[in-house]
Amino acid sequence: MTTTRDLASRTRSGTGARPKLSTDAMVPAPAAGARTIREERLAREGRRPRRAAPASDANPLRKGLRLEKVPDPHVMVVFGATGDLSHRKVFPALAQLWRTNLLPQDWMLLAIGRRPFDDASFRAGVKASLREYSRVPLEPAVERQFLERIAYHRGDFDDTATYDALVERLKAIDDDHATAGNRLFYLATQPSAFPAIVAQIGRCGLDHEVHGGGWRRIVIEKPFGRDLDSAKRLNREVGKVFREAQVYRIDHYLGKETVRNLLVFRFANGIFEPLWNRRYVDHVQITMAESIGVEERGSFYEETGAARDVVQNHLLQLLSLVAMEPPATFDPDALRDEKVKVIRAIESFDRTGVERHVVRGQYGPGWVAGQAVKGYREEAEVDPRSETETFVAARLLVDDWRWSGVPFYLRTGKRLPKRATEIAIQFREVPHRLFASAESDPEPNLLAIRIQPDEGIVLRFGSKVPGLGLDIRTVNMDFTYGSAFSTDAPEAYETLLLDAMLGDASLFTRADEVEAAWAAVTPILGAWLDGPGPAFPNYDAGTWGPPESDRLMDRDGRRWRRI
Amino acid sequence: MDGTVGSSGPSGPSGPSGGGTIGGRPSGWLAGTGEPGQPMLRWSSRARSIDEVQEELGRIWSSISLAMPGEEGEERRVAARSSVMNLVVVAGRGETAERAAAVIHGLMGRHPSRTIIITPADPDGPSWIDAQVQAHCVLPSRDSPETCAELVYLTAGGEAGQHLAGCVTPLLVHDLPVTVWWPGEPRLESVGARALLRVADRVLVDGAGWAGDGLERLATLARLPARYDVEVADFALLRQSRWREAIASSFDLPRLRPFLGWIREMSVGYAAHEGDAGMTNVVKPIYHLAWLASRLGMVVVEPLRPSREAWGGYRGLLRVGRRRVTVELRPIESQARAGTTMEVNLVARRRREALEARVTGKADGITVATIVNDAPMPDRHYLVGRRHEGDLLAETIEDDGAQPLTADALAMAASLVGKAV
Repeated sequence: MTTTRDLASRTRSGTGARPKLSTDAMVPAPAAGARTIREERLAREGRRPRRAAPASDANPLRKGLRLEKVPDPHVMVVFGATGDLSHRKVFPALAQLWRTNLLPQDWMLLAIGRRPFDDASFRAGVKASLREYSRVPLEPAVERQFLERIAYHRGDFDDTATYDALVERLKAIDDDHATAGNRLFYLATQPSAFPAIVAQIGRCGLDHEVHGGGWRRIVIEKPFGRDLDSAKRLNREVGKVFREAQVYRIDHYLGKETVRNLLVFRFANGIFEPLWNRRYVDHVQITMAESIGVEERGSFYEETGAARDVVQNHLLQLLSLVAMEPPATFDPDALRDEKVKVIRAIESFDRTGVERHVVRGQYGPGWVAGQAVKGYREEAEVDPRSETETFVAARLLVDDWRWSGVPFYLRTGKRLPKRATEIAIQFREVPHRLFASAESDPEPNLLAIRIQPDEGIVLRFGSKVPGLGLDIRTVNMDFTYGSAFSTDAPEAYETLLLDAMLGDASLFTRADEVEAAWAAVTPILGAWLDGPGPAFPNYDAGTWGPPESDRLMDRDGRRWRRI
Repeated sequence: MDGTVGSSGPSGPSGPSGGGTIGGRPSGWLAGTGEPGQPMLRWSSRARSIDEVQEELGRIWSSISLAMPGEEGEERRVAARSSVMNLVVVAGRGETAERAAAVIHGLMGRHPSRTIIITPADPDGPSWIDAQVQAHCVLPSRDSPETCAELVYLTAGGEAGQHLAGCVTPLLVHDLPVTVWWPGEPRLESVGARALLRVADRVLVDGAGWAGDGLERLATLARLPARYDVEVADFALLRQSRWREAIASSFDLPRLRPFLGWIREMSVGYAAHEGDAGMTNVVKPIYHLAWLASRLGMVVVEPLRPSREAWGGYRGLLRVGRRRVTVELRPIESQARAGTTMEVNLVARRRREALEARVTGKADGITVATIVNDAPMPDRHYLVGRRHEGDLLAETIEDDGAQPLTADALAMAASLVGKAV
């Protein structure tokens, strides 16, 4: 299988079959770009063409290096810097980028939060987080260098004084650290704070991209809205200040290696794509199972639930990557155009459809990994009569030329027996039972893409058992990422943050994509609100969800894949 | 064939843990539970001809059950062979073979390959073959099947040792690329080498370890791609990636980038020892100049010539457009290993502006000190440690040999020493 560590064109590719040196590869490369037609002609005439100095916007020394394009000098401004997300994910990811020299030397992080820190005390907190959450421990000197690039700015997100002071602080950082006026805003706050922050950034003019004065981008964490209306409202608020090209809505699932490899798997291998349609595929199963409960996020989860937390974003993103048509280019918008077409093609449900094709559940007490665990309603910050779903299974249809009639079964839940995210493409049975006399029937082929843990790909096919009889047994051809490639793969946040710094929006969600996903999920949420209260809890922790989930498959003569 | 005990594999009478010892070394399948990520010897047997080696390699995978006893008595799966390439190591001496094996051992989990370490011996004696066939397995994680790869130590005595390709070709896994790693002093022009290079996709050497100034062999290396249609990688060039990253990063600054088109002088200082400054291996310093010159579109006007003075180094002349660029390799007396890069200096003059950049390296990183119009800019420190052979070999494998930078730098290096390809 052809794979690549990096899909974006920002890095030199190092993949595929043995590449051959071309003759002109042995000729010293020109300084910046190829020769012009005139230079070529003069050279053939034996005359010396005048060569202009390299263009100032391209660094010829970067050609062939690990990173052919590096982020411009900039200040990253993190709102919600004292929160869990920043300390667990964002700062460790940035530290890894720094460790591997993927950030520019002229880079600063300005952390904004309500708590009373100064630079030194905030850095101490980041240092502790790095020690706890870093993927690879940092050398002391590297850690010191990284921490020196962090400053803290205290303020309330809805207080205009915070932003007026921020403007001055950013100017001072530009002067002191040569950050060239470029800004990457990162919203790691509660979603309710997004509109106020964006509006204040606009009020102060911090969104303005001035010619020669640097770029401005904003990264917004999920959840982006809680239904279609609120997502549209938020898009409108953001759109009043930032152009769409400046907005990077993050869904960290899209930064995972295996998810990105899905595109390579589909579009860089000629043998699968011809089979990737209704003619050969019986159905698709996408499972995202978590063995953990709601942990410390009880109050957040009470307002969210599995449909909003996982289905609307992660699962629909995976579905769109599986079902999309090949984009014409790897341009961010070409890719997202194809994804959004798929999401728009999902057949929407009326109330009867929701009752028939969507199952919700909530876990009760049970056993997970040999330990007794509480039911959802007994978790901290959870209403003892909560009607929030912790499990969703759904049968969706993508009504387009390629997939018409092929069901996509989606399943996600908390407190399931194990943590696993997989996509399974179940192929149709062979049309003719040539081996009817065999002692066992061959099972249809299956292609499973494991996203976590043990990232890899399994192809299931039938094989004759050695011996005199004709016994067919199903065997797995199992490709595990860790056995073929370095296991030192970057975390999703490292990939996505670097992409945002480089201005590559391929792996971020566009406004219309978010709205299309909400349009697919909102009727389900509405039907649940309108219907009678659910009989929760309806599955024991440590099981694969409520029995209705299995019945959803039984009705179609199928069953959930055993994971 | 000296081999395993009886039918000896796990399917034989002695079961999965069966096997005996031959000459103090175990043979057949070996039981045990390794830690995840740690390669473990699982099979060992011996052969005395290439045919026997082939048989043994086949036997590893055909005569076993795919189950091994795991912890607490349960069975766990052993994966089938996993290979991403054929790796042929030509080791002139036994200790070179041991060192190469140690490097490869560390990579088995990441880059499982069929590895053949061949050591020619006793060239004047009769022909003979002695081979140790091994399978090493890695457990990616506790509940995953093992990934196994084969390692063949092949000693070829007499005339057999002169026909490397004849020994190696029958043992290659079909359809996988062939990388020839030739540590030490590769005899790239020998008859045995020519046949081997014809079956290779990629050749890996370490130019920094060659005897003398290394220039003649560098020119030979530069000719290999055209002559044998192979990719070439040199650890000496790969090791310098931290220098290249640091220098390129400095010119990412918009203030400095325009100077790249106006470089007038480039010099590299390298470590030399009293008494042999004139015979120091200068492959590494030449690669620095070659990389810069190739990336900046320079052409060689006068190749590097050694000075008549003992500590005079080498001087040459390049041009870019109509501008001349003087280049120099300058020996610096130092305790460091001879040929080690001590500093890279660049001088640029652009209209009324001038830039001087001095790049120096230490074990933990590279420092770039820049002066623009006589005003020093803050030093920039790139904290990147030196890399070991295992990292470099891994990088070569991961890049799949696709190193446009290497091809350009190697061609320019050959031009710099007056042997343009």
